[in-house]
Amino acid sequence: MSVSHSHSAEAHAHHELSFLRKYIFSEDHKIIGIQFLFSGLIFFLIGGTLALLVRLQVGFPKGINLPWFPISWGGRMSPDFYAMVFSMHATIMIFFVIIPLLTGAFGNFTIPLMIGARDMAFPKLNMMSYWFMWPAFAVILSSFFVEGGAGASGWTSYPLLASATMPAGEGFHSPASPHSGIGQICWLVALLFVGVSSMMGSINYMTTIINLRAPGMTMFRMPMTVWAMFITAILQSMALPVLTVALILQLLDKTINTTFFLPPGGMAFGNWHTGPGGGQTLLWQHLFWFYSHPAVYIMILPAMGMVSDIISTFARKHLFGYKPMVLAIAGIAGLGFIVWGHHMFQSGMDPRLGTGFMIATIMIALPSAVKTFNWLGTIWGANIQYTTAMLNALAFVAMFVIGGLSGIFMAATPVDVYFHDTYFIVAHIHYVLFMSSIFGIFGGIYYWFPKMFGRLMNEKWGKVHFVLTFLFSNCTFFPMHIIGIAGHPRRYYDSTLYRFLDNVQPLNQFMTISAFLLALAQIIFLVNFFWSLFRGAKAGANPWHSNTLEWTAPSPPPHGNFVQTPIVRRGPYEYGNPDMEEDYLPQAEPQPSGIPAPAH
Amino acid sequence: MQQKGWGIFFGVVLLAAFLSIAVGPLVGWWLPANVSSFGPDVDYLYYVILGFTTFFFLLTEVLLVWAMYRFAGRPGNKSQYVEGHHRLEMLWTVVPGGILLYIAIAQISAWERIKYQAKMPDPDLVMQVTARQWDWTMRYADTPLPENHRRWAEIPNFDDIYLPDELHCWKGANVRIYLKTNDVLHSLFLPQLRLKQDALPGKTIPVWFNATDANTRFNASTGNCEWTDKNKEWEIACAELCGGGHYRMRGLLYVHETKDDYLNWLKHAQKAARSRQPEKKATPVAAKD
Repeated sequence: MSVSHSHSAEAHAHHELSFLRKYIFSEDHKIIGIQFLFSGLIFFLIGGTLALLVRLQVGFPKGINLPWFPISWGGRMSPDFYAMVFSMHATIMIFFVIIPLLTGAFGNFTIPLMIGARDMAFPKLNMMSYWFMWPAFAVILSSFFVEGGAGASGWTSYPLLASATMPAGEGFHSPASPHSGIGQICWLVALLFVGVSSMMGSINYMTTIINLRAPGMTMFRMPMTVWAMFITAILQSMALPVLTVALILQLLDKTINTTFFLPPGGMAFGNWHTGPGGGQTLLWQHLFWFYSHPAVYIMILPAMGMVSDIISTFARKHLFGYKPMVLAIAGIAGLGFIVWGHHMFQSGMDPRLGTGFMIATIMIALPSAVKTFNWLGTIWGANIQYTTAMLNALAFVAMFVIGGLSGIFMAATPVDVYFHDTYFIVAHIHYVLFMSSIFGIFGGIYYWFPKMFGRLMNEKWGKVHFVLTFLFSNCTFFPMHIIGIAGHPRRYYDSTLYRFLDNVQPLNQFMTISAFLLALAQIIFLVNFFWSLFRGAKAGANPWHSNTLEWTAPSPPPHGNFVQTPIVRRGPYEYGNPDMEEDYLPQAEPQPSGIPAPAH
Repeated sequence: MQQKGWGIFFGVVLLAAFLSIAVGPLVGWWLPANVSSFGPDVDYLYYVILGFTTFFFLLTEVLLVWAMYRFAGRPGNKSQYVEGHHRLEMLWTVVPGGILLYIAIAQISAWERIKYQAKMPDPDLVMQVTARQWDWTMRYADTPLPENHRRWAEIPNFDDIYLPDELHCWKGANVRIYLKTNDVLHSLFLPQLRLKQDALPGKTIPVWFNATDANTRFNASTGNCEWTDKNKEWEIACAELCGGGHYRMRGLLYVHETKDDYLNWLKHAQKAARSRQPEKKATPVAAKD
């Protein structure tokens, strides 16, 4: 396998590729990673705009009328439009931003470089995995313009709101919601394409990591990023088939009137009855969460790996507890498969199942705690270099603590009776997915940008961006805990109808204003990104004095990555060796004379 | 110095977040007052978890901020060369592991009490609630406890009373609700009762509660139920997305002081229902947006 691969890679190197093959239909893992990065960032803008619309409605359900604000605006969106906006915000952020950025962009870019491979094991499959995203892009974006509008059943698309359909021959309208017609079909089709894309990626990552490691790169010399991507790929390959099945079942319900999710008695919408069914609505929840709970870890584990490498590099210190860190990731992934039922404690599932799911769920906090303590151990006694990448990585740790701890409240079944589907869960998911994953992604961009494009991002503006983002994202998401404690249900178009929510409405307004400021701060990032792309200071091969293999390749690395296949001599975290003058020792560097070689 | 500033910046933001939660109970940003018999169990477990999580929040964030301040880089300085520490790893695996296991086991009895069908107390009052887009229909039998109430829940009786969005019971009664839905998923949420249960298409789900405080008195002369305290207007909400009108499935909980007061109200409601049109459901089909 590896032999034939290296032959083909050499053959490639001999002739210059056309622009189209080099940058558009590229088989080079670095270009594919960058393609995922750009499309992910574009969808980040779309998803962010939708988030602002959500906040606008929740903060000012009756229109804007503030004494100190110059604009007074009485306009309102319709409740159905609001439901569409928050559903598509979550769908886009999860399936089109975070998963493609973490596994697609960073997985693709880093894996071959960090293990010393010339490319992925299956370059053509890799190209296909990116181009399978494009039908998904087209379908999800055009779904906003179909009759009824895009899907509005939440990112979870629970039946029957999502799946109820008119009888055969009466069109694709849904009696449950105007958005559950063609818009919902588009949602299902788009996610099917995303799933197939991820599946191709995960097979490729596993094969590459198992087969194409450079000489000397044993499994326990791999950087944490690669470990995290490896375990994430295993998670994806095992969980995705179940999501695919669930999507197909709902698609069949919606198009050819099967009744996988319609109960035997059928249901009545107003005076109109669907006719008998033969299925169960809970079936969808089980299938969906069997994928989507591991998906939560798919959306955090790669960031954990990246953050571990960034922290060790800029702490100029050996990663504390490398093997426990690897085991913790494996533990999260393993337990991650037996906790999906915690999304369903109040669903009407047998409560005795809830007890078992609760114990597994609470125990999954343990490997997360181990990781946090090891990160703290890494910066203890360090010599911290506060680069923008490091600040984002440290923000990941600080915020992941909050996101991790808040999860315990909802894992505890009796407490979840109260907290389920309130804003507390919205706070929790945003502390994990925005405050952790997105800070991890920002950290990764600032860190690997010089390797991707050969130029450094501007550090000063990077720090301005970081300070504003850290401040405003906490102002936007932290008060969600508080209104959740007060019982504010999620997905509410207008909470001012309820007396028990009267005194938290000012917090809703505060969060909305903060969200707009948070969005404005991202303009700094965009300008810095594109300015640095063309005008940034030239980066050498190893601007951060880092140890991992990608920094031995030129910046940006040529097709085939390494001038000479590196030979790995040690683990990735040899920083601050007291016997040496330099405070780092790259993985492929020959052993300096007079310094004992490490045992592993 | 500039390097050390980052630790301070993190510290200030984290402290502000912590304080915003800490002042919550003082300014009313907190759990609504509990009026349920099992509510204290839920609240107690909430405070147990809040205690442990606050401790670990403070521990990890203080260590992080301190390390960021103390170990900020200086030119010419080198980090300590440590790869790990076996006993520390054991310590921070076993101690949190034990605490988490305790938290998990502590939940079980309250969970059983609230949701296990076999452990639900025998009811004093039975009703059947049906959700639909977008309201609740409460069905009451002509007596608080109809014979064979599980069967009654499935088969409507001629004498039943249907009321939209009004849930009546009396203080101290073990109330059993048979929860259904006509169309999509809904979730019956009563914040003050610490109660939440999804309504599942095709299923009837038993739910119980026992209200420990009253908020209403039946006024026979006006035929209305009057609040005894303006601040005790306890609301019913829907907690599972059910379409555009999800946010306006608002209902009210009326807890009568005594069973007699409840029976007086029931008699009145019965009479009012009889004098109405023969059609069973008094509420019109909700217009869809």
